[in-house]
Amino acid sequence: MVDEITAAPRNASMAMADLTASQLRGCMRSLLGILSLLLILMTPLAESAWAQGEEVASAIRRYREHEVSTGYYEEYEVKPRRMLPLVEIPGVRRGLFPYSPSAAKVRIRTRLADSHQSIRFYERARCEKCHIEQTRDIHTVRANLTCRQCHGGEPIASIDHYYSPMNPIRRHAYVCAKCHEGSSASFASYVVHTPNPADMDTRKSFPALFYVFWGMVSMTIGTFLFALPHAALWGVRELFIKEEKAEGETKD
Amino acid sequence: MRPKTRIRRFTPLQRLFHLCLLLSFLTQGSTGLARLYIETSWGQGLAWVFGGYETCRTIHIYVGIFLIFLFLTHILYLFSKIKWKEFPRCLFTPDSILLQPKDIKDLIQHMLWFIGRAEAPRFDRWGYWEKFDYWAVFWGISVLGITGLLLAYSLIATRIIPGWGLNIALWVHRIEAILAMVHVFTIHFFIAHLRRHNFPMDRAMFEGSVSLHHTRNEKPAWVERLEQEGKMENALVPEAGAGRRALFLLFGYCAVAIGVFLLIGGMVNSPYITW
Ligand code: HEC
Ligand code: HEC
Ligand code: HEC
Repeated sequence: MVDEITAAPRNASMAMADLTASQLRGCMRSLLGILSLLLILMTPLAESAWAQGEEVASAIRRYREHEVSTGYYEEYEVKPRRMLPLVEIPGVRRGLFPYSPSAAKVRIRTRLADSHQSIRFYERARCEKCHIEQTRDIHTVRANLTCRQCHGGEPIASIDHYYSPMNPIRRHAYVCAKCHEGSSASFASYVVHTPNPADMDTRKSFPALFYVFWGMVSMTIGTFLFALPHAALWGVRELFIKEEKAEGETKD
Repeated sequence: MRPKTRIRRFTPLQRLFHLCLLLSFLTQGSTGLARLYIETSWGQGLAWVFGGYETCRTIHIYVGIFLIFLFLTHILYLFSKIKWKEFPRCLFTPDSILLQPKDIKDLIQHMLWFIGRAEAPRFDRWGYWEKFDYWAVFWGISVLGITGLLLAYSLIATRIIPGWGLNIALWVHRIEAILAMVHVFTIHFFIAHLRRHNFPMDRAMFEGSVSLHHTRNEKPAWVERLEQEGKMENALVPEAGAGRRALFLLFGYCAVAIGVFLLIGGMVNSPYITW
């Protein structure tokens, strides 16, 4: 009896234990189910964890529709033809006046297949966080291009990496010709990220721009330093002329 | 018949040149500034007038090409006006628009007169400031026309110049355009409208003639020369009627209003754009 009495709760507790064990197992199973479902759900989402994937262009217009590349890059000459000797293309062709627009810049990752190799937190940051100077060009500011429309998807190769689409020997065909149909190597030597022409650094990195800029600015300032006081003094002096009115005529 | 109180100064063709130049200059100024200032609401408003950022570019390019043709036509016109029989001499008469030593003398004497140190110079047909304005347009159209063509047809242009030349062309185009606009909207408008001699407006370029009386004061050498050579009779014309005068005044002040609007808007908004 005693046994029975004691057995009952024991059985009950055993039943309880059984219950909790099976419940636990059920819980675990559904938890695993949810987790694996989450995992499956997250796989397509994984891409968007790249902060730079959010890039959206165009308040003014979308340029993707302007990308007219045929995809047949062989259509474009890699080496420039029919160019005058003056046409100097940095990295491709020496002209009479050798010149390299970005030679004077101190850059370290210029020949990597992935220029951001092992840069921490690169995935979570947007381009402009680290490259603020490069956001001030006409393509980005006015034409509303995104960085990747030129620099491409991951990995972003260094400009001078041999197989980089940005390498001057093929930049015109692989990058610029997407929008500027028929672009030549000479055209592609346009300095997209134009340095501030007034800057002293530009004297080294882009001397022609620097000197022409300051030449034009001094001409402008010189003109107005003369013309504004000249006009002002003239205006004042004329107030003191004594002029007789002619008869029968309106004022000229 | 109204009394003949004015001297003929510009032919209808010359006035047409000026009118075309005026209209296309204002168009180029507005569409160009609309594009330069597209980041600001002022620039967007300006671009809206012309149908947006891209249409501004189209208008700017075609009006620019029109200006280049106007310029070439004007050069042909100049060659047709040179009296080839008296060839090199005819370039240095007082009627010539070429800069001459007398202009330097006039300029110095004029500035001494501003500060009361000399008599007013006796200007002939073209004052040195008028010659300067005329040749400044030559310089401006050449520089803006060439850099503009390079930028507009950049793919063809980079066969002749290297691509990085476009960076330079763009800055030259900008600075020259700003120089031209500030000069026209301040100095040129001041001299033609606000100066007491011309207030409220110098109608010479619209009406084609200037008041004999006023010109006798400002350009005595010209008037005397006309009288001595016996050409005065032929040169005199009557004044335009009140309706046409009012039209000239209205048109002139519209141009001034647009110019001042562009000048002030451009200055106020200049810190807010990426240059
Ligand atoms: C976490 C900071 C960071 C972010 C975000 C970043 N970069 Fe970089 N990037 C660097 C650094 C550092 C270098 C090496 C700079 C040097 O060589 O001086 C570099 C180099 C480069 C280069 C090669 C330069 C060369 O000399 O060849 C390119 C091209 C480039 N980045 C483009 C981009 C673009 C496009 C993005 C946005 C998708 C981006 N970067 C985002 C830090 C960053
Ligand atoms: C129109 C195409 C284009 C776009 C848009 C563009 N780039 Fe570039 N970028 C280039 C080219 C071409 C070069 C090589 C420049 C050179 O050799 O001087 C370059 C060079 C660079 C470099 C190397 C350093 C330098 O200044 O030469 C960095 C960093 C860079 N870009 C970052 C960016 C970022 C960030 C953006 C987006 C804000 C961007 N780029 C948008 C074409 C582009
Ligand atoms: C995704 C499209 C796209 C790519 C790629 C691109 N561009 Fe452009 N580019 C444009 C647009 C759009 C404009 C017009 C900007 C404006 O209206 O202000 C432009 C304007 C220019 C201009 C100004 C002159 C003109 O014709 O108006 C130059 C020079 C230029 N790009 C050079 C380049 C070079 C060099 C490359 C390659 C490194 C390049 N672009 C790649 C879209 C592109």
